[in-house]
Amino acid sequence: MAEERLVLGIESTAHTLGFGIASTTGKILANVNYVYKPKEGGIHPREAAQHHSLHAARGVIEVFRKAGIDPKRIDGVAFSAGPGMGPCLRVGATLARALALKLGKPLLAVNHGIAHIEIGRLVTGAEDPVVLYIAGGNTLITAYLDGRYRIFGETLDIAAGNCLDAFGIEAGIGPMPNPEIRAREGRELHPLPYKVKGMDVSFSGLLTAALKLLKKGVRVEDVCLSITETVYSMLTETLERALAFTEKGEILLVGGLARSIRLRQMIEAMAKLHDAKVYVVPPEYAGDNGAMIAWTGALQLLSGQTIKVEESKVRPKFRIDEVEVRWRSLSRSK
Amino acid sequence: MEEPKQIQVIRIGAEAIVSRLRWNGFDLVSKHRVPKPYRVPELDRWIRDRRTIREAKIIVELKKAGVPAPAIILLDRSSSTIYMQYIKGVELKKALDRLDPMKVVEIAGRLGEIVGRMHLRKIVHGDLTTSNVILDEAGRIYLIDFGLSSVTDDVEEFAVDIHLLDRSLESAHHKLRERFMRNFLLGYSKIVGRERALEVLGKVKEIRMRGRYVKRGG
Repeated sequence: MAEERLVLGIESTAHTLGFGIASTTGKILANVNYVYKPKEGGIHPREAAQHHSLHAARGVIEVFRKAGIDPKRIDGVAFSAGPGMGPCLRVGATLARALALKLGKPLLAVNHGIAHIEIGRLVTGAEDPVVLYIAGGNTLITAYLDGRYRIFGETLDIAAGNCLDAFGIEAGIGPMPNPEIRAREGRELHPLPYKVKGMDVSFSGLLTAALKLLKKGVRVEDVCLSITETVYSMLTETLERALAFTEKGEILLVGGLARSIRLRQMIEAMAKLHDAKVYVVPPEYAGDNGAMIAWTGALQLLSGQTIKVEESKVRPKFRIDEVEVRWRSLSRSK
Repeated sequence: MEEPKQIQVIRIGAEAIVSRLRWNGFDLVSKHRVPKPYRVPELDRWIRDRRTIREAKIIVELKKAGVPAPAIILLDRSSSTIYMQYIKGVELKKALDRLDPMKVVEIAGRLGEIVGRMHLRKIVHGDLTTSNVILDEAGRIYLIDFGLSSVTDDVEEFAVDIHLLDRSLESAHHKLRERFMRNFLLGYSKIVGRERALEVLGKVKEIRMRGRYVKRGG
């Protein structure tokens, strides 16, 4: 067996500043995360970046202490290159460049979305799934085909998580999971725009319509029921199309919204129709975290996908289908 | 009046089951949108009902615009089923390889005109491939399966139609592809006008570059 190498990963795309250490054999040695919580409303990029700068030094010390290793033992430094918010991304990138130079180790630029998928495959054991990646800032359906994660469907406007969070905040009940919890007391379902185009979805009209229902005086629990059922049905339906189209036998749910109990129920009911197996990333790795960047960095180290410091720009609009997924054609990790 | 008798299941899709039926001496096709157990029943019923009606409306609009498509015979909202005319013929996909080259050129031009008329009515097919074009015994062509169709003003969506058609030729008929598309576009621009055709074509190239629609569809 090949010699085990270790990679430090740094995540800073949005509200989470995360640190992780992973080995090329698939062990997670440490996973340390600091989450910025806005006092009200959504994330303010500059404030989040400030939060990340403030916790950066402490995080580095903490992750090595937890892993119980000396920084010199690291064989590479990985960072989240995007997609994400520019000011936040730059904190992680700057830190990673400095550490790579100081330790004299290769730098690895990781796509944040791919990191969600790869940590999901690692911890659930899913081999070649159709992936639903759903989070505050991302909604996409993807599967591996001919050397890349191809995008089969995505949101045409806002992300599913963003839609439900924004609704919860506007309704005064707070972001997810609150809308889903309140939906359990819902009694009456109101029709909302259900926009599915092939394998793509659109949520912005639905959010506006749900807020209008609230203004008209419809019970908040009923609106919660309507919005969650509609959003989840749209996601499940597009996922079903992608599953039928790709003829894969596995489904993997990753990203913060993978924690949703109701969505998981629906997807499991759909999967049964197609004899597909459903894997859900455990809560610890569902939200943004450092371990996923470390693990994907380790895969990239194995396939020789490092980057020079002078070329390591952050990429706020980095798409997952821009990445050549060379490690999946290596023998040990399909 | 007798009940329609099912003769054969033609296609089981992710959304609907298409069957051939015999009814009062006629050959019919039924498209039944199946309930999805994962959706709450009221939402499920509402979605299937809306889509059934939308598809029927689009077909009626298309017939008005002179786009050959199967005529709607009956609409059963309670079961989300559309009954339509059965067209005796073969998928263009299966016919292309054994057709005379002159005939292929002619069909491509006519298909271009048909798609042009559809687009002029602001309707996109949504899944325009050679499997969704039927060639009947008299050599007439029809468009079928409007399950993903919509009404739009967005040039990109028109371009997706043409891109999907081009890609279906690329995978199954790569030798014919260039000649087919050239004649298709001649027919298309005859209907929508040269300027508009060039605009749509520009978008097709953009989509291709993005690689966004690779392996997509149905």
